[in-house]
Amino acid sequence: MNDFIEKSGDYLPILLNGVGITVSLTITALVIATLLGLVWALMRYSGIGPLVFISKTVVNTVRGIPILVQLFYIYFVLPEFGIDLSAFQAGAFGLGLAYSCYMAENFRAGLEAIDKGQIEAAHSIGMGWPLMMRRVILPQAVRTVLPPYGNTMIMLLKDTSQASVITVAELTMKGKLLAASTFDNMTVYTLVAVMYLVLSVPLLVLSGYLERRFGKK
Amino acid sequence: MIRLENIHKRFGELEVLKGIDCEVQQGEVVCLIGASGSGKSTLLRCVNGLETYEEGRLTIDGNLVDARSKDIRSLRTSVTMVFQRFNLFPHRTALENVTEGPIHVKGMARSEAIEMGHELLARMGLDAKAHTYPDSLSGGQQQRVAIARALAMQPRAILFDEPTSALDPELVGEVLEAMRGLADEGMTMLVVTHEMGFAREVSDRVLFMDQGRIVENGSAEQVLTNPQHERTQDFLRRVLER
Repeated sequence: MNDFIEKSGDYLPILLNGVGITVSLTITALVIATLLGLVWALMRYSGIGPLVFISKTVVNTVRGIPILVQLFYIYFVLPEFGIDLSAFQAGAFGLGLAYSCYMAENFRAGLEAIDKGQIEAAHSIGMGWPLMMRRVILPQAVRTVLPPYGNTMIMLLKDTSQASVITVAELTMKGKLLAASTFDNMTVYTLVAVMYLVLSVPLLVLSGYLERRFGKK
Repeated sequence: MIRLENIHKRFGELEVLKGIDCEVQQGEVVCLIGASGSGKSTLLRCVNGLETYEEGRLTIDGNLVDARSKDIRSLRTSVTMVFQRFNLFPHRTALENVTEGPIHVKGMARSEAIEMGHELLARMGLDAKAHTYPDSLSGGQQQRVAIARALAMQPRAILFDEPTSALDPELVGEVLEAMRGLADEGMTMLVVTHEMGFAREVSDRVLFMDQGRIVENGSAEQVLTNPQHERTQDFLRRVLER
C-alpha cells in the first residue's frame, strides 16, 4: 500500500497533465456536440423537406460509422483535401460531430414529446416559429432532454480516450505511455480509472443541478 | 366581420368541407352544432389559419386568411382561439399564460401586461390563482385561464372549439358562465359546441353542419325548436334524448 502511494506521487503529475487535456477535450467536444445537435434536431423538427433530409442523412451517416474510424478519417484523410487539423482539433471536432448525432436524437425525442396543442396555442396568440420555439417548445423540451443529456455527457467524457489513437495526449494516452515505461500496470491503470471516475462526478452534479433548475417550472 | 365563401377543404381523398358559405357579424354569437366528423372543428380551425383550405375565400374584416402568408400572425391576434383541451403552457403560471402574448407578441410593457392579466383573471374569478401552474388547476379553471389568455390579445372575435367537451360535468357551468359574460359584453364569438342549452340561451344564430355542409342557419329558436332539415331533426332528437 505504501508502495502504491509512493509511486502514485511520482505518476500523478504526468497523469494530471493528461487530465487537463481530457477535460478541455470533453468541454470543447460537448459544446460542439450540443450546438450541432440542436441544429440537426431543429432542422428535423422544422418539417421543411430539404432541411429534414439533410439532417436525417447527416445523423444516420455519422451514427453508422465508429468514432475511431471518424477520428482516423479526420486526422489522416482530411489533410489530403487541404484541411490540416492538429490532433486536439481533430479529436474535438470528431467527437463533437459524432456526439452531435446522439444529442440530436435526444433533442428530437424531447421536441416530439411536446403536445401538438402547444404549437396550436402558440400560433393562436400570433407567435411565429422562432418565438414559439424560444418561449413555448424549448423550455418544455429541456425537461425531457436533461436526463439523457447528462448520460451522453458522461459517455462523451469516457470516449475522449479514443482520441489517444490520433496522438492526443489525454489521460488514457499518458497512462499507456507511463505503464509501458514503468511496467507498473496496476498502479497506473488504477489511477487512470479513478481519475475518470472523479471527473464524472462534476458532470453528475451538473446534470443533477440542471434537472432541478429546469425540472421545477 | 368573418366571411366564408364557398370554402372547400380536403384531407387527402376525404372532403371535409364541401362549400361553406357563412358570415359572422360584429358582436354576434354564433353556435356551430352537428355530429362528430361533420367538419365543425375543421371549419373553425380554417378561420384561425390552423388549417389550410383548397378552394373559396375566407376573410376577416376584408383581410384574406391564408395559413401560409406572413399576415396570418396579425390576423390570429385579432381572432384568437380557445381549445377543447385548453392547451395552456404548463411551464408558466396562470398569470404568465395570460401575459405571454401581450408581452412577447404585441410588445406591451411588462407592468401594463401584468396589470391587465390580473384584471382578466379577476374577471374570470381566478385572480387568487394567478401564480398557480396549470397542473394544479381544475379543468374548468384551466379553461377560464385559457379564455383570459385569449382575451389578453384584445381580439375582435374569439373562436371556441368545443370548450366544455373535455370537462367533468360539474365544471361545465363555470366555463359557460364565463362565456355568457363575454357574450353579454358584445364579444363576437363563433362557438363549436354540444351544449344545446348554451346555444339556445346565448347565441344569436345557430348553424347546423352535416357532412361538410351547413344545412341549417337561423336563430337558435328556429334551428333548435323548429328545424327544417331532416338531418337536423335526427341530430337534435339524439342529442336531447341523452
